[in-house]
Amino acid sequence: MNQFFSGFLLVIFLALPPVAHLLESIMIVHMHMQMPLLVIAGFLMARLFQLRFPRFFEKWNGNGIPGILLFLIIIVFWTIPRSMDEALNFQSMEIFKFFSLSILAGIPLRDSWKKLSSFGKNAVIIIFTIKYFGMGLLYIKAPVQLCNNYLIMDQLTLGWGFLTTAICLVIYLLYVTFTDPTKYQ
Amino acid sequence: MIKNRHTAFASFLVIIFGCILFYLGTDGFTAFTAETARVNQLIDIKPKFSDVTFEDSKGRTYSISEFKDKYVFITFLYTSCTTVCPKLEMNMSKVYDLLPNKYIGKDIVFLSISFDAKRDDPATLEKYRGYFNSDGETWRMARISNQAELDSLLNAFGVIVIPDENGNFAHNSAFYLVDKQGTLIDVMDYKKIDEAGQKLVSILKKDGGSKQ
Repeated sequence: MNQFFSGFLLVIFLALPPVAHLLESIMIVHMHMQMPLLVIAGFLMARLFQLRFPRFFEKWNGNGIPGILLFLIIIVFWTIPRSMDEALNFQSMEIFKFFSLSILAGIPLRDSWKKLSSFGKNAVIIIFTIKYFGMGLLYIKAPVQLCNNYLIMDQLTLGWGFLTTAICLVIYLLYVTFTDPTKYQ
Repeated sequence: MIKNRHTAFASFLVIIFGCILFYLGTDGFTAFTAETARVNQLIDIKPKFSDVTFEDSKGRTYSISEFKDKYVFITFLYTSCTTVCPKLEMNMSKVYDLLPNKYIGKDIVFLSISFDAKRDDPATLEKYRGYFNSDGETWRMARISNQAELDSLLNAFGVIVIPDENGNFAHNSAFYLVDKQGTLIDVMDYKKIDEAGQKLVSILKKDGGSKQ
């Protein structure tokens, strides 16, 4: 209950017009801070749903795959340049952003992550690594302005943000490949 | 086994949902940026050129009716721009050169509209037009001094102009074609010069044929 409450408060806080406006005025903060915070909020809120509807999650997300697929789809959708622009131009898209990232991405992520095998987890991280390299190169190399609401400079910053995140993911993957955690337990 | 069937079905539903979401979000996989979506939409709506007062490089003032019974090939720019505008105008001059002489001035007029009315006075425009061999007659450069008129035109044609802190503007660029009745009929990629040239020639040819 406490967790749900803190997640819920986080969504409300992020939705306050001055906060939303500030975070969305900078492209990289919009994508790499506001959006992940919404997912985290959903992640926190998930606990209540898991306790309330354990049967639902057990029945439909038994192996965690449907949940993680839903999570991936929502996250990929929000990295399309157009979606970001539309969230700024249309109120309805903005509402959908808050709803989808917290409820449709945060909740399934929490429910699925523990159910996935370590192979499944690494597969998800590898998908993200590839995607972040791809998006990073797209935003850096694109000769044109991809989002009408942001300057080219913001676009470059976001591109490098993607690339550095991808590099961190590679370091993590190398780390899990070449170390044996049981040795340290 | 039963559990597996449930999760498989749930996965299937999620994938269907994903396809629908991406389909709707990108207008059927055609528009991944808001700019493409904007252009597709403009060509569908065909907005009318609003009533504005131009002041051109020769200091003349007139409205869009000055170009009645002529096609107008339009770009939007500001002269202090160092990035995309010179390229845009250079490409515009290449399209100008591609057109047969008989159409120019008679059936079609080129018009560069500045959205930086403060700095782009007639003298500045007069100097700028020289860089691109615009003659000031069949290819005019003009500003719209009335901010409300300018805003309504930019809005109707979907031109988004964002001022930055250094006195520059971020803005989207394209070739706009307005027909003889003052209706926007096409928005073209300003980087595809030959394509734009061919399109203009074919439109003008068709038009000339129907007149005779």
